[in-house]
Amino acid sequence: MWDWYYAFEVLPEIASALGVTIGATVVGFILALILGLIWTLLIRSKNKIVTTVADSIVKFIRNTPLLVQLYFIFYVFPQFGLSLDPFTAGVIGLGLHYSTYLSEVFRSGIESVGPGQWEVATALNFTTKKTWTRIILPQAIPPVLPVIGNYFITMFKETPLLSAITLVEILQTAQNIGAGTFRYTEPLTIVGLLFLLLSYPASIALRQLENRVTARYS
Amino acid sequence: MSEPIVKYNNVTKYFDDLMVLDGIDFEIQPGEKVALVGPSGSGKTTFARLLMTLEEITDGTIEVAGDYLWHEKDENGDLKPASTDHLRKVRSNIGMVFQHFHLFPHMTVLENIIEAPVTVKGVDKKEAIKDGKEMLDKVGLLDKADNYPAQLSGGQKQRVAIARALVMKPKVLIFDEPTSALDPELIGEVLDVIKDIAEEGETSMLLITHEMDFAREVADRIAFFDAGKIVEDGPPSEILYHPKSPRLKEFLERFMSTQASPE
Amino acid sequence: MSFWELIASMLGQGLVITLLTTVLAAVLALVLGFVAGLMRLSKNKFIRFLVAIYVEVFRGTSLLVQLFWIYFVLPMFGITMTAMTAAVLAIGLNFGAYTSEVVRSGIQSVDKGQIEATIALNFTRVQRMRRIIIPQAFIIMLPNLGNQLIELFKSTSLVALITLTDLTYQANVLNATTLQTTQIFTALLVIYFVIAWPMTKGMKLLERKMTEGRM
Ligand SMILES: Nc1ncnc2c1ncn2[C@@H]1O[C@H](COP(=O)(O)OP(=O)(O)OP(=O)(O)O)[C@@H](O)[C@H]1O
Ligand SMILES: [Mg+2]
Repeated sequence: MWDWYYAFEVLPEIASALGVTIGATVVGFILALILGLIWTLLIRSKNKIVTTVADSIVKFIRNTPLLVQLYFIFYVFPQFGLSLDPFTAGVIGLGLHYSTYLSEVFRSGIESVGPGQWEVATALNFTTKKTWTRIILPQAIPPVLPVIGNYFITMFKETPLLSAITLVEILQTAQNIGAGTFRYTEPLTIVGLLFLLLSYPASIALRQLENRVTARYS
Repeated sequence: MSEPIVKYNNVTKYFDDLMVLDGIDFEIQPGEKVALVGPSGSGKTTFARLLMTLEEITDGTIEVAGDYLWHEKDENGDLKPASTDHLRKVRSNIGMVFQHFHLFPHMTVLENIIEAPVTVKGVDKKEAIKDGKEMLDKVGLLDKADNYPAQLSGGQKQRVAIARALVMKPKVLIFDEPTSALDPELIGEVLDVIKDIAEEGETSMLLITHEMDFAREVADRIAFFDAGKIVEDGPPSEILYHPKSPRLKEFLERFMSTQASPE
Repeated sequence: MSFWELIASMLGQGLVITLLTTVLAAVLALVLGFVAGLMRLSKNKFIRFLVAIYVEVFRGTSLLVQLFWIYFVLPMFGITMTAMTAAVLAIGLNFGAYTSEVVRSGIQSVDKGQIEATIALNFTRVQRMRRIIIPQAFIIMLPNLGNQLIELFKSTSLVALITLTDLTYQANVLNATTLQTTQIFTALLVIYFVIAWPMTKGMKLLERKMTEGRM
């Protein structure tokens, strides 16, 4: 049933693919943060058209599956001359998809800053840019940090989807090994355990952050 | 005098290391209305919550209608902690009206009132509705039967809560500061309803209140709490106009100076 | 094929599977979520521990890995099942774990005064849960449950990867045979959106209906 010798034999190869998995998570997440903030600002814009368009795009992305978005980026973009390697396509897909969730988080953070803060900034004659960077965002972001962290973990656990567009991350590596030896039990179990091993401690750390944040901000 | 309906025997209550009730003996007779007064933190609420089984007793016993509330007798006749069934059986004699009403927000007024008779007592639904409407009429809220609690004023909510407790026909009804969460102009309507019930006479009442006029009017007896003990206990005329203990005198003086004087 | 023919072909063969997987997995997730959520509030430490393991394992690993594990590894232990069963099981178990947390926190956020009122009215524990706590907790949970339903629906696209012939699978097949890549994947995105969007709106409407005048 379970072959320890075989398990230890394939472990290094699977673990070595963790680099790709974590790399995709980190780069994808940075992209998601930036895009998310952009969506939020666009949706808050005074220009009705900009708001509507940005809002519609966000809604569309949120209401369609990440897997299909990945296919779209990987297979449809080349039709328009934009060929992407699996890693780049995957990172764009992840970043774009999760940017819509983060935009929602940013929105709630910003809305939790009272109107008085805007008035103070005006009274002190801050520029719009300075108001955002010095007054609003420093207050809006810390309370929502745990939620943002949660999305990081969620995204990490979604990276196996990138195997569907031929990225050789840990799940694909395990599949490849399984296909060669006709033994899937050990490789797939190892992948599961690796995810658990990394995400469980992270979520515990996040819970502690959350406790500290609630203690401080409410 | 007949058998008391409620009897506290040397009841003690601790919250961790904090002693809140200090070996209290106390009786309520059938139909008797007793008001509990005393400074904040003296243990009135805890005293009442023990009777409603909302707090666990630390030491001593409480008897309700001749049965132990927190205990039952084992084969040898010794007391052991009550089983859930026993607790529920004895508890069915007691009802309570809360400071913050605690109506069921997902149910209409009428549903709030028939819920316990139907679910807990197994009363036929038609009959429960009939009784419920009668009770609503009594508290003057028949026209609100199909409203949700969120659509009522505080005074109306409390009247519904009183009706909800009454349809269970408890032998003893506890009121813990039933008007202190209300806007001043709504207090009267609730006190009137409580007075009406008191006048009907059959239900014993345990009233925790800061409304001295009301206590004097409604109660047969007033018990003065201080630091986990009942310091004085007697008819309103004694307690309010001829206090013996210095603590009660002090309490009443402070009370009169902050309130409009009664007479 | 024209754009409309592509859509018709995908829908004709994949829609039923996608919707069926969604409904079955959602029912399983809801049942598991309620059972596990209530068990998590049990007085028995051992029961709480068992449920915590279930929840942490399924939240801590990835849905796709769970899907592959159930479909490819369980047969090694003599447990074979159809792709449909594996899909419903994996998605149901995964979302059930998340739902149990929603259920637990929903129940815990019901006002403690409600419990006191039911004690004063002499309810049993079961009567209290069924008549008073769960109905109120359910309203508190609704927005989260609604979001989860949308996420669950989107996640059914993963079942294509274990050869279940859902919308996404049909799109891949069409793509291989017709090479009309742009139209096919555009249509696929639109189809998912056209189902998910009304679902989102529907849940919002339900929420509003259930809270109207009450909370
Ligand atoms: N659940 C609890 N845990 C710990 N201490 C408690 C708890 N409930 C009450 N106490 C403490 O017990 C003491 C008595 O409280 P209780 O509420 O019975 O007083 P009270 O006479 O009703 O006061 P008030 O007039 O303010 O309502 C107080 O010191 C209070 O802080
Ligand atoms: Mg009190």
